[in-house]
Amino acid sequence: MSGLSVALDGKQFDDAPVLGRIAFDLAPGEIAALIGPSGAGKTTLLNLIAGIDHAFEGEIRRPEGQVAMVFQSPRLLPWRTLAQNITLVPGSGGEDRARALLADVGLSEAADQYPERVSLGMQRRAALARALAIDPVLVVMDEPTVSLDPPTAAAMRGLIRDLLAASQATALIATHDRAEALTLADRILEIGERPARLVRDRANPLDRHARRAPGAADALLPGWFGDATRAAE
Amino acid sequence: MAESAIAARGAGKALWPLLSLLGFGVVWALLAVLIASPVLPGPAEVWSALLREWEQGYAMHLGATLLRVLAAFCLAMAIGAAIGLALGRSEGADRLFGGWLSLFLNLPALVTIILCYVWFGLTEVAAIGAVAINKIPNVAVTLREGARRLDRDLLEMAEIYRLNWRARMAHVVLPQLAPYFAVAARNGLALVWKIVLVVELLGRSNGVGFQLHLHFQLFDVAAILAYALGFIVIVQAIELGLIAPWERYANRWRR
Repeated sequence: MSGLSVALDGKQFDDAPVLGRIAFDLAPGEIAALIGPSGAGKTTLLNLIAGIDHAFEGEIRRPEGQVAMVFQSPRLLPWRTLAQNITLVPGSGGEDRARALLADVGLSEAADQYPERVSLGMQRRAALARALAIDPVLVVMDEPTVSLDPPTAAAMRGLIRDLLAASQATALIATHDRAEALTLADRILEIGERPARLVRDRANPLDRHARRAPGAADALLPGWFGDATRAAE
Repeated sequence: MAESAIAARGAGKALWPLLSLLGFGVVWALLAVLIASPVLPGPAEVWSALLREWEQGYAMHLGATLLRVLAAFCLAMAIGAAIGLALGRSEGADRLFGGWLSLFLNLPALVTIILCYVWFGLTEVAAIGAVAINKIPNVAVTLREGARRLDRDLLEMAEIYRLNWRARMAHVVLPQLAPYFAVAARNGLALVWKIVLVVELLGRSNGVGFQLHLHFQLFDVAAILAYALGFIVIVQAIELGLIAPWERYANRWRR
């Protein structure tokens, strides 16, 4: 059984090609990062994989079970409290489980707050708790730390790493931050400019234990990536 | 100290409309004295007319009108919202039926009322139906606008997390439409009140509209103003007692 199988031939918006040929498979429980320049079509690809957008050529096979998505904006319902945002999702378990999940992401005090009254970082963490509440087999994340200040982003990365490891879900995380990719993922997929194709697909040389060390990803960064635009040619 | 200052400012805010109304009363009384004609009775005369009418079923007539307003309002809100949502969510439906909506929107209220009475007889159903039909297009247009502006991001979220139809309506769609419902309810109430009077005037034997017609024939302006006054008080009470608190509740999550 595969965690995720993508064999995309192309995707276009109003005759403008956005994505070209992109093919990869993820093993169950594998965590992959999707990196590429901004505007390359990372979000478009994630929407296809998550099953929000069905208009494309090719085939995407998702594993049996629930797919969760952590969107770039948290997309919590502003008129429901953080706890309600979790309990109203089918399969999330009850009130107690929602509060336990919020406690896991450090939000036990804020469970009864409305999303617009807490910080973006807290909203992101609540959205992460919601994604894991449905016990997903596949988690798709779009820029989970973008526009957070560096310490908050680092804390969020730590949470994502620990919670994904505990859930054993297959995960695909889009990011423009190469250090983040090396911190979170077992495998790094790089896409190029529009129409984006898969230009590199490599395993992270750091194993899950090694990348916990602070600074490990940063140390590897300059040499390992080289010049991505040259690689694309 | 800061709290008492805020309370004082709040009291001042409440005081101004009262003062303004009081000023209106004074101008009215002065005009009545100046003109000194039975076609413009002063506040005191209207008050005594109200007491006189009270003996002769004022409350019953006001109640009959209120019940018609309630029935027509609920009917129009439910049907209008359903139509507006359907048209706002489906472009095909909007292309097919959008024209019908502008047709009904521009159909004079009086024509609807006459047709309903001609087709269905001078019955309660015809009366309430005629009022509802007048109001439905307004509700539908307002809610269609709301449905068009539904947040696509949140609808995608609902799809990913497999919310069923009921949960989508309760948690995603209706909370976004709350402001549109409030607008439709406000405008609707004002419109329904007015049309109900015409319906009563043309084909009912009780209600404020019927009484206005009667007193018009008797040339009793004081009684007419007495009914108008009761009317204004009730509409304001509904606005302040029902719609405004509901809106505050619906907006509790806003920053």
